[in-house]
This record gives sequence, C-alpha cells and structure tokens, in this order.
Amino acid sequence: MAEPAAPPRARIVAWLKGDSVADARQAPARTILLFLAPALVVYAGFTIYPVLRTFYNSVHTIGPHNLQTFVGLDNFVALVTQDRVFWKAVANTTIFTVVGTVADVLGGLLLALCLFAKVPLARAMRVIWFTPVLMSYVIVGIIWVWLYDYDWGLVNLVLGWLGLESLQHSWLGDPATALWAVVVTHLWKWLGFNMIIFLAALHALPEEVLGAAELDNCGWFAKLVYIIIPMLRPTVVNLLVLSFIGKMMMFDLVWIMTAGGPLWSTETVSTYVYKRAFNWNTFDLGYPSAIAVLWFFMILLFVTLMTRLLRQRDRVEF
Amino acid sequence: MATVTIDGLSKRYAGGGEPAVKAVSLAVADGEFMVLLGPSGCGKSSVLRMIAGLEPITAGTVAIDGRPVNHVPAKDRDIAMVFQSYALYPHMTVHANLAFGLRRRSVPGDEIDRRVRGVAEKLGLTPFLARKPHALSGGQRQRVALGRAIVRDPKVFLFDEPLSNLDAALRVSTRNELIKQQHELGTTTIYVTHDQVEAMTMGDRICIMNKGEVVQIGKPLEVYRSPADAFVARFLGNPPMNLLPARLEQIGDRAVARFADVAVELPGYPMPALTPYLGGAVTLGIRPEDLYETPPPAVAPRTQQIATRVLAVEPLGAETLLMLATGSSDQEIIARVGRDTGLRMGDAASIALDPNALHLFDPTTTKAIARTT
Amino acid sequence: MRLWLNHLRRTPLLLFLVVYTIVSGGPFLWVMSMSLRTTPEIFDDPYALPVRLHWEKFANAWTNSNYGTYFWNSLIVVVTAVALVTLIGAMAAHCLARYRFRGSRMVRFVILSGMILPPQLLILSLFQILLDYGLYNSLAGLIIVYVATQLAMTVYILEGFFAQLPQDLFDAARMDGYADFEIFWRITLPIGLPAIFTTVTLNFILLWNEYLYAVVLLTDDEKRTLPLGIMHFMGGHQLDVGMIATGLMIAIAPVILLYALFSETMIKGMTAGAVR
Repeated sequence: MAEPAAPPRARIVAWLKGDSVADARQAPARTILLFLAPALVVYAGFTIYPVLRTFYNSVHTIGPHNLQTFVGLDNFVALVTQDRVFWKAVANTTIFTVVGTVADVLGGLLLALCLFAKVPLARAMRVIWFTPVLMSYVIVGIIWVWLYDYDWGLVNLVLGWLGLESLQHSWLGDPATALWAVVVTHLWKWLGFNMIIFLAALHALPEEVLGAAELDNCGWFAKLVYIIIPMLRPTVVNLLVLSFIGKMMMFDLVWIMTAGGPLWSTETVSTYVYKRAFNWNTFDLGYPSAIAVLWFFMILLFVTLMTRLLRQRDRVEF
Repeated sequence: MATVTIDGLSKRYAGGGEPAVKAVSLAVADGEFMVLLGPSGCGKSSVLRMIAGLEPITAGTVAIDGRPVNHVPAKDRDIAMVFQSYALYPHMTVHANLAFGLRRRSVPGDEIDRRVRGVAEKLGLTPFLARKPHALSGGQRQRVALGRAIVRDPKVFLFDEPLSNLDAALRVSTRNELIKQQHELGTTTIYVTHDQVEAMTMGDRICIMNKGEVVQIGKPLEVYRSPADAFVARFLGNPPMNLLPARLEQIGDRAVARFADVAVELPGYPMPALTPYLGGAVTLGIRPEDLYETPPPAVAPRTQQIATRVLAVEPLGAETLLMLATGSSDQEIIARVGRDTGLRMGDAASIALDPNALHLFDPTTTKAIARTT
Repeated sequence: MRLWLNHLRRTPLLLFLVVYTIVSGGPFLWVMSMSLRTTPEIFDDPYALPVRLHWEKFANAWTNSNYGTYFWNSLIVVVTAVALVTLIGAMAAHCLARYRFRGSRMVRFVILSGMILPPQLLILSLFQILLDYGLYNSLAGLIIVYVATQLAMTVYILEGFFAQLPQDLFDAARMDGYADFEIFWRITLPIGLPAIFTTVTLNFILLWNEYLYAVVLLTDDEKRTLPLGIMHFMGGHQLDVGMIATGLMIAIAPVILLYALFSETMIKGMTAGAVR
C-alpha cells in the first residue's frame, strides 16, 4: 500500500530533524555529520590541507607564479649542513625557551606562593599582576622597546638612580644582551598566567594534609619543599610543557622588538622562516617550508622527551 | 601521657556574628579517653583544632601538663592528630608517611625504622608499607593515619571524627581497634564525634557541646541516666527520649504530673525540688525502653498504665518500636517493646510506665529539674 | 613584641609585592599617561603625568592616522570569527561529547592535535591557499583562518565541559521527544554557557591581539587590523611616541574595559586551556 511521496521540502526537514532514536547516546549518521561537518570542513581545508601542503612544499622549490620544482631532500640537507643562520636561530630559540620556561614556571610559583601567604590586598594584586597577559605582543613589545631605550628608557634610568651606571646598556642594540632583554619582556607578559594557575592549584590542596604537616614539625619552608611542591607536580609539569611549546613557536614579540637582530642575536626559527619566505631576495617558499617541517619534528621530539622524563608513573590522587 | 586543661576557651571567626566557641572549660585527666560529642556546627572541631594549635585562640587558655601552650606552635606541643579525611601525604609511601614526622624531628634512622615497623606490625600494615595511599582502601588509610599518630609517641592524641568516612561494618571493627590501642598505650586522648554510639562505647567521659558551649560533662552512663537538659536527653539514646508537656499538680502532700489523662507519681523527686513548678507546666521525659507492653517482674509493681492508640509498628527484628498516640491531645510517644508483640496499627494498647524512670525538665530553660535541692 | 617581629619578618615579602605590582601595572599606566601628552612634552619629561589632557589626540588618531579603520576591521574580524568558531566548535564538541560512533576517537584526536601545530607549519601554505582562492588580503579570508586556528582549543575546552553534563538530562530530553539539534540548541548551549563564556573570552583576547597571520595575509592599509595598524604607523613615525601611545591605548582600551568589568571571567577564560 503505497503512500504518496511527501513534498521535497517536508522530506528535507524530516531528514534534518532526524529520527528520535530511543538511546540518547546514538544518533543517525546524518545527524552526526551535521554537527561535525562545519568544523571538519574548516579544519580540513584550513588546517590539515595547509599542513600537508607545507610538507609538499618542503620537498620542492616554489618560485614566483607557483613554479614548482621537485628537489627531494635537498632543502633539508642544505638546511642542516650549510645554513649557519638556521643553527644560530635554533640555538637562540633553545636558550630562549629553556631559560624562559624555567623562569616562567618558577616565577609563577613564587608569585602564587606570595599571594597564598595571606597578604593584604591579595585579590587586587592578583588582578593587576594578570594584566600583562591580556596585552597584545605589539603593545608589550613597543612599551619595552621604549623602556630599553639607551637614552630615556626607564631601565637605564633606574640603573642610574641606583648608582649602577656601569650596567647601562643599549639593551636591544647590543648582540650580547638583546636575547636576554627579550626573555625578560616575555617573562613580564606571562608570569601572571602561571601565577593564576598555581594559585588555583595551591587553593585546591587539602587543608588537612597541610595541617598534618604542621603537626609533623614542618615550618613554612619544610612544608613547601616536602609537601606543597611534590603535590603540585602535575601542575608544574603541565605548565612546563605548555610554556615550552609556546616559546618554541614564538614569533610576534621578537619580530616587533628586534626583527631578529642585531646580527641574528635574537633570530628565532619562526622569524627566520618568515624572513626566508617574505624578506629574501629570491622568492622561494620551499626552503622555509622545509625549515618549518624540520622544526615541527624537533618540537615533537623535545616534548615527547620532556613528558617521558617528567611524568610520574603513578597518580597523585587526593 | 599528660593532662589537658582548657579554661574559658573561645573562638570567634573574622566576619562571623556569633562566636563559634563560647568559654569552654574542660579538664582531661592523664590517660583519660575524653569524647567531645555534639551536633554539626557545635564547635567541637574548633575546640580540637585550638588544642592542636592549628587554629588561633581568640580567648582563654589551653594547658598541657599544666603548661600553657597558647603561643606554642603546633609542632612543639607534642600532640598527634588523626583527621577525618586521614590527611595522608598522597605522594609518599605508607612507610614514608609513618616515618615523616620522626624524620622531621631528627630521630636517628634505625630508631625510625624500628618504630615504623613496630607500629605497622601492630596495625597490620606491614604488607602495605611500600604502597601509596591511593592504592589503599578506606579502612587501611585510616589505620595508616592512626599509625602515623602512634609512631610519634606523643603526650596527647587528638581524633577528629576519624570513623565518619567508613562504612558501618568497618566502623564497628575500627572502633574496637581504636579502643584496644588506646588501652594498651594509655595515652591521653580527646576524640571528637557527632555519633553518640561512638561516644557511649569509647569514652571514659563525654563532654557534650551545643552551639559553642559545654552542656554536660560526665561518664557515659551518668550522662545517659541524668541528662542535664532536654538537649542532652534527646541527643543520647536511639530512639530519643520522649519529651511531653505536662502539668504539675499537688494532691495532698504529693506532687503528680498530669499528662495524657493520667496522673503519674514522681518518686524520684523530693517535694522541695518540685514546689516552684506546682500548678504550672513542666516537660516530662521518658525513654522508650522505660515504656513496656509487659513490664518485667522487677519493675511491674510500681508501673502505671497509660491508654494509647498504636499509630505505627516498626519491627526491627530484635525488638519492635511502637509509635503511640496518648490522651485526648494525641501526643505521640515511642515505646520499645519485645519482638514478639502482637500489637497492630490502630489497636488500643495499655502501656506500662515506670515512674522511677521519669525525668522532669524546666519548660522554659529546658534544664533538668534537680532531684535534690 | 611578638607581633612586631612577625611584621618585621614579612617586610621583605611585602616590599617584593609592592615592587612587582608597580612593575606589572606601571607600564600600562605609563602608556595611558603618554597617550594624553604630545610627543614634545614626552621627550621633555618621559615619565611625568600629563599637564593638559590632550583628548584630541584620540580623535586625530582615529581619523587622520586611520586608527578608526583599523579598529573597525579588528572588531569585524574578531567578532565574526569568535561567533563562528564558538558555534561550529560547540556543535562538534557536543557531538563528540554526547554520541558514541565509530571513529569518534579518531576525529577527536585529529581535531585536538591541532593545538600543538606551530603557526609556521601553516602560514606559508595558507598564504598560497588564500591567494589561490582570491581570499588573500581580505577580511573574509582572515576570518576563516582565525576560525581554523582557534577551533582545536575551543573544541577541547567545550568538549571537556559538555562531557561532564549529566547524561540523565539528555535521556530525559530524548524521551520527551526532542530532536537532536533541538537538544543541542535548547539544552547543551544554555547549560554550557559558562564554558562558552570562557572560550569566547579566550578567543576574543587571542584574536584581538593576533599579529602573525594578519601581517602575512593582509596588505592593504584599509584592511589592517589594529596590531598591524600600530606596527605600520610605528614604521612610518617611529619618533612620534605620543601618537603611537595613543594608538596603543585605542588597541588596549576595549580589553581593559572588559577586564575591569569581568576580571574573574576573563582570568578564568584565559587560563581555561591550561587547567586540567
């Protein structure tokens, strides 16, 4: 007994609405597709495809007007064996990352402990200390370029007031100090972030365990070393990894403050990629793509090593 | 081994209205097991934490062995505490948890080892020494918490509701374990709980607190039999004491309490004690176990009968609880009768009451009317 | 006497707190002050407070130096991108959190792994792709790229939250006859509002401040977003510190305003991705 076919519009609406399946954890394929499609389409087209294309680029020379020449692993070989700027950039980025990450996490912990110690106005300070996190790198960079100015920058001025004229430098102009100056600025921006996370973790520590430690003859230092820091270990590891990844990819701040100079003393891998792609006398997207690919694998390797080393074998549940 | 004396201890939290603890005074003898009993929020945990030194004292003194310790930091009071959540160090093994306090006090290594192993042996923790707390059951963690306190060999033990996180069966066995340990060690113990069964079975003396104040201190059976006020009367005993409004009347040279159309004698109370209440209202208290369907021979001669109507029957297996309505006002009381009662809901029942077991309370102050002047 | 000693012990700590507060909050106040002073005044005494408040500098920057255009571009791009990524991210997160289907683990893994992709791996190819599709140097192109870059983090945060919603709620809705999309629209979204707030905050701040993708993918001055506009101005007028400061204030004012009103939400939002 045949029913007349429903008009097309009703059919589409019915298709979109889906069946009401009894089990709420199941849904017909078309519903799932509907939910995922927009995200997957955007993701596939503008994340996955570009990644694949970068890999493709890395084994080619991409000249102007999209002239592509297959070169195999030539780019990588040249990169590893002949490109001194690349290795300088790797060294700079590594120093920046390692020093910055350790300082970032330790500093954040220190600040959080200060606020945890029941100081007056802790809430207000928490809000103020977090402000740099919200500022764009452009703003942070420009402010600190001014602060580092040799003639009228506050850094040199304060050194002068303290009678330390001998320490005054052209912070961003001197190859010996430029990278460290950028590290300090980066730290200034991000300490508040780690501080907030550590503060939340500190407040989540069970009070009775800290009470038990007090009865076990722990002063504030012993409590810190034997109880608090070991219990914060998962947070510390997470932040170390997060900070590490973020700094390995750093572009904005360096570009704005020094553009990689002076004399490549602040050249990072990301600024080098940009320069090779857009600021080089020959236009070739293949070579910088190779740099990006190689660097990506190096980051993966470091992160895997880090997590392997630092992650605990059993959980610290409480 | 030490005495603990609290005098006028008070605690006010910043920003709070009422003080949490109001002028609590208590003297715990050497080797005594003192239980602080009371409902949630009565201030018993605050008192304990002030004794431990984990909470600053607003007013009053705490003295251990006669020496005031108000300004002595917690770690120097020679006190060990077992917390409700056990508060084990989650990142350390059981062995390290037990040894931590000793290590922090620079006890020599082999001494630590000896004591830890000894305590582990005593509490059956030897197979677990290498495990971390998250791999232990609740009962095992509780024993580690206890072990951590024992291994310190302190002057005083403090317990903050240590059994409340355990399931019922475990609670009973652990309770007995704790009693046994305390007996063997003979250490002065202060134990906080809201569970009256724990208080009755474990304490040498109970200190009952309500709303920040001490209501009564005494041996468990004393407090049970002679509650100082209506609150204590209802707090101890399950099901709780029946409290009924009654009128005190004078008949000849005797006083009787009239309730539920019955005038009951008051043999336990001499006339002078009752004179202020004659002709007025009193609160009458009678425990469910002192109401009988069939009184035992020893009690039978002196009992009086009350006419009641059965509202509900709750057979518990070993005994039965009856919810009864008495008198014209249908006042509800609970009686505890034998398991083979034939009474059903809606029946009329005549219940025997033992006048010797009656308690009288002042209707306004709720304090017990003294049996002596 | 004892109280005194306690205070004395804490003095270094309190000193450190004061110093750090000045260090972290000072620069912002300094820029705010400079934004209201003329450049000659600044070079005269860089760290003084403004004598006259030169509000006209803001109007000047807005119209003559094109900051008005930059601001609108940023606003359009960021608001659109955040709206889009929140919608499609929530849809994907809801699907992954609620439904069991073959391949769901694979899909989740693929999307979430996007969080560790360095921009360098994407930027050059995106440059080529946008050129190919005529989306280069267009706000629309930048919007789509922004949606793609923020998708992984958004799905991560929202999926984590949605997965914790009690399944009973959804079972009951099913039994009441709600269709799947209705369940998403009427249940997940309203109840998931706190998590959505945090991702909106996070995405807004990150995209408002974003520089690298914008500088590669936009070239027309008319299309520049604020960070680009500032750098462009800086390039041409490096010594006009006063006007640069005014531009910086225009860029940071919305953020600070939101922060003053919603500091807790913003703090939670910005740290949401890191708290496990």
